Amino acid sequence: MSLIEILIITLIKILIILTLTLLTVSYLVYFERKISAWAQNRLGPNRVGWEGILQPFADVFKLLLKEDIVPNKANKVIHSLAPMVALFVAFTTYAVIPIGPNVQIFGYDISLVVADINIGILYVLALTSLGVYAITFAGWSSGSKYSLLGGIRSSAQMISYEISMGFSIAGVLLLSESLRPIAIVESQAGWMWNAVVQPIGFITFFVSAFAETNRLPFDLPEAEPELVGGFHTEYSSMKFAGFFLAEYANMIIASALITTLYLGGWQIPYIEKLGLADWLVTVFQVGSFFIKVGMLLFFFIWIRWSIPRFRYDQLMNIGWKVMFPLSLINLVWVAVLIMIFN
Amino acid sequence: MPKIFIDGKEIEFKQGQTIIEAAKDAGIDIPHFCWHPSLSVSGNCRICLVEVEKMPKLVIACSTIAAEGMVVYTQSQKTLAARNAVMEFLLINHPLDCPICDEAGECKLQDYAYEHSIGESRFVEEKVKKEKRVPLGPRVMFDGERCISCSRCIRFCDEIAKDPELTFVQRGDRVTITTYPGEVMDNPYSMNVVDICPVGALTNTDFRFKARVWEMSATKSICNGCARGCNIDIWVRNNEILRLTPRHNESVNSYWMCDHGRLNTFKFVNDSSRIDSPHIRKEGQLVKVGWDEAFAEASSRLKSFSKDEIAVIGSAFATCEDNYLVARFAKSVLGTGHLDFIHHNDPSFEDDILRRSDRTPNSLGAKLVGVRPSKNGLDFNSIIKAISERRIKALYLVEDDTIQNDPEIENILAKLDLLVVHSTNYNKTTDIADIVFPASTYAEKNGTFVNFDGMIQRIKPAVSTLEADRALEGMAMSRLDKFGTRWDRWAQGVKFDARPTWRIISGLSSVMGYKFKYNMAEEVFKDIASGITSFNHLDYDIIGEQGFKIKASVLEKEILE
Amino acid sequence: MAEKKRLKDLSIWQKIYIPEIFKGLALTFKNMLKPKFTMEYPEEKFIPPASYRGRPVLVQEENGEERCVACGLCSRVCPALAIEVQAAETEREKERYPERFEINMIRCIFCGFCEEVCPEEAIVMSKDYELAFTNRQEAIYGKDKLLVPVSQLQDRIEFLRNYK
Ligand code: SF4
Ligand code: SF4
Ligand code: SF4
Ligand code: SF4
Repeated sequence: MSLIEILIITLIKILIILTLTLLTVSYLVYFERKISAWAQNRLGPNRVGWEGILQPFADVFKLLLKEDIVPNKANKVIHSLAPMVALFVAFTTYAVIPIGPNVQIFGYDISLVVADINIGILYVLALTSLGVYAITFAGWSSGSKYSLLGGIRSSAQMISYEISMGFSIAGVLLLSESLRPIAIVESQAGWMWNAVVQPIGFITFFVSAFAETNRLPFDLPEAEPELVGGFHTEYSSMKFAGFFLAEYANMIIASALITTLYLGGWQIPYIEKLGLADWLVTVFQVGSFFIKVGMLLFFFIWIRWSIPRFRYDQLMNIGWKVMFPLSLINLVWVAVLIMIFN
Repeated sequence: MPKIFIDGKEIEFKQGQTIIEAAKDAGIDIPHFCWHPSLSVSGNCRICLVEVEKMPKLVIACSTIAAEGMVVYTQSQKTLAARNAVMEFLLINHPLDCPICDEAGECKLQDYAYEHSIGESRFVEEKVKKEKRVPLGPRVMFDGERCISCSRCIRFCDEIAKDPELTFVQRGDRVTITTYPGEVMDNPYSMNVVDICPVGALTNTDFRFKARVWEMSATKSICNGCARGCNIDIWVRNNEILRLTPRHNESVNSYWMCDHGRLNTFKFVNDSSRIDSPHIRKEGQLVKVGWDEAFAEASSRLKSFSKDEIAVIGSAFATCEDNYLVARFAKSVLGTGHLDFIHHNDPSFEDDILRRSDRTPNSLGAKLVGVRPSKNGLDFNSIIKAISERRIKALYLVEDDTIQNDPEIENILAKLDLLVVHSTNYNKTTDIADIVFPASTYAEKNGTFVNFDGMIQRIKPAVSTLEADRALEGMAMSRLDKFGTRWDRWAQGVKFDARPTWRIISGLSSVMGYKFKYNMAEEVFKDIASGITSFNHLDYDIIGEQGFKIKASVLEKEILE
Repeated sequence: MAEKKRLKDLSIWQKIYIPEIFKGLALTFKNMLKPKFTMEYPEEKFIPPASYRGRPVLVQEENGEERCVACGLCSRVCPALAIEVQAAETEREKERYPERFEINMIRCIFCGFCEEVCPEEAIVMSKDYELAFTNRQEAIYGKDKLLVPVSQLQDRIEFLRNYK
């Protein structure tokens, strides 16, 4: 493949992933509202389009038409930078997530990932820690105590949970012996899903993912009763929408990561035994990736409408006194496994 | 002094007083309908029944003369039972009219029904129907069903107005009030019966249904209808005066005021003819201008005359404070001695009850504070003469309508080069004035009036002008005033851009280079008190609500000098 | 005296928290499948029971006259100072009538005190809850909007007679 070809193919991949994410994000919002309504015996949005299917667009138009208010005391540059950072982090992470095995199209051998780099997981970790900056920036630059408190809380929270998250991932890496997402997926062939092999790591990662994405029960940075709106109190219009989108994009990433790291990525156990055509297998596999991600997303939303928020001290307690030791235990467990089976 | 015991309290009383009077002086209120401190005792309502030791039956407190050592109970079992019974009898034929009755809120029957009645009617038969809406006279309306036959109104006409017009007719539960055949109740004090009627049987045709009493604020003030200066309450809702009622002051007007004062002395305050903001005549037309512009114009034009060409006329309608500054303005700022005020005498108005022939509230005050010609100065008539001879070319006229008083003067005033006027309303004089300053009415300012008798009395603002804020000025506020916002139609009353004369004068003086440092009428009064013998050692607190009487000897000396 | 069991003495299962989470999840999931009772408003309207306190209205008799005698009690009792009544004299038997009667619907808090205090059963709470204005002036309802024929208010009047 020439450089040009690689470039074009990559561009196409980027385009597809980006549209996909954007669409999913908007419909995620829609489903969030629908599911919350159902859980509360309501109907949910049902006015714009069939069953409210166009609601996301209405929302976006509304936000676009809103006045953009920047507080007087805000640091204007950083205030506008923050949502961009948030969005940037949210979208660039997708680059390393494989959604299926390599495929042959028009004679090209294409991997279903935007950038198949061998330090993919490090890349993900690096970017998610960048995400903290978006929130800190937003909180600090607004020039409002509510925003500042929200921002500080969330940075503390994210840093705390990043540790248990990192240790959980370490377990995965020990098994796969690679930082390359595709390799990690492939190492979970059959029923060797990491969720099965190292359930404790799965749980700690899962919980940390909730904390990282600031979702309930860990949505302290936005805790409306105490902090008005958290770090985005002073945001309106499209800048607010930026944070909003980023939050949902992060949810998708978290789900995709969980799928990749613990649920065998695109793999369907023993599908090759069915003897189906290659392309059909690929389609099923890509489909299975999306189904796994979708179910995780549903779980994210479901959790939100079922469980109350933690108190800040509880949150820190769980982070440091439960999740962190648990992830260490998991690490030991994986090491023992490796010792026994190797 | 002899003593009696009421409810265990030892009370001193004057020989000859009745129980109810003795109790009243000691601050004990014995319920009463027909008894009135200024009327003869009739003793027909029976609500004032009290228990007296060693008397076989309850006695009526209004006609039982107190005697040394009497022991009276006003709250004993027997008394309360008697009161209950009397209330029940009174209510038997009383209609359930409170919702449509003007008296509601200040009705004795209502109050006592709350205090002394069982709250339920045992009377199932049909109530007696009587005539409602009977005009007893041009200003008083009668409702037969509401009347409790206390006879206060009859006694008032007989004893106070000295014009017997009313009487009872019929008997038993049919008894009702009517005028004597061929008579109408039109004596000049007729509307006082509305105040003394303990129920809503007699109503004021002018005020009927205008407002509920609890919607208005009441401000203690003084009537400006004549030199008696009857004490009054000004009742205001939404910055509009709706009625005046007399206020008790034994040494001035007792409980009364005349119908003229009650009806004709307040309507100009909210009239459409009120002057709003200063005006200057430009090309023959009075044009609205700002205060600064009016001051500048008046100042430069007044300065173009020599001292002897200017005359100043104060006002017996204005307060002492106003007149004091007018006098000082004339003497110190303008340097003229041609200073006087107009007397409005109408002998036909006078009677031997309250009304005085001097139709202004403050002519004595004006004179006392210095509004009179200086040694070589001209008095009012000479000023007019001098104007017609064109010796006086500029006239500064305060709060009076010269032309209304004497139409011939119109032609004379036309000869003036400059006519500056302070006026509350447009009138014939403002029609020809060159500069018009809008003056606050007596209901919009603080100040003092001195009545014919030398009684100094306070007036207080009841209506707010554009610059005045009710709360900040400490004015009386009704609930509506307290909670109204500018979006409530009931709180959007008209406010005129007017100022009290003393403030106009001090504003103008400072433009002319002479500073009076007054912020409040009270400060002006302080200066009056230190400068003028009759007012020595006085302040607003000493004058209070009941006035302060200048000693006749002091007064005489001051006026003669 | 036996130790009282306190709410915060959790059992070990509750302390682990995970089972409790699943209980909660099960509950919400069950509810997702239940029938919904959302009322789709403009098409489907809520018809309130007689005890409902919608906007206060004035009762208009069959002959077109209002019952109100402009006593001003509603205006006095109104905690929000929403009511303004200006009385005037009429030839009718009841002497006085409201020349102007205005309720400021921005001020009104639908407490129903006016209805309770009215001696004439002249002001009652209707079932009308559809109140929307685009400016403050529009929100001041005069007699034209307040007068409602007595036939439409039977429900409420009966309710008041039974329970007031
Ligand atoms: S009209 Fe009034 S004052 Fe006269 S008798 Fe009747 S209740 Fe008394
Ligand atoms: S007697 Fe004179 S002061 Fe008294 S009310 Fe009449 S006009 Fe006014
Ligand atoms: S309480 Fe009743 S009768 Fe009185 S003003 Fe209000 S609506 Fe009219
Ligand atoms: S319902 Fe309550 S707030 Fe509304 S007008 Fe009546 S008394 Fe006032």
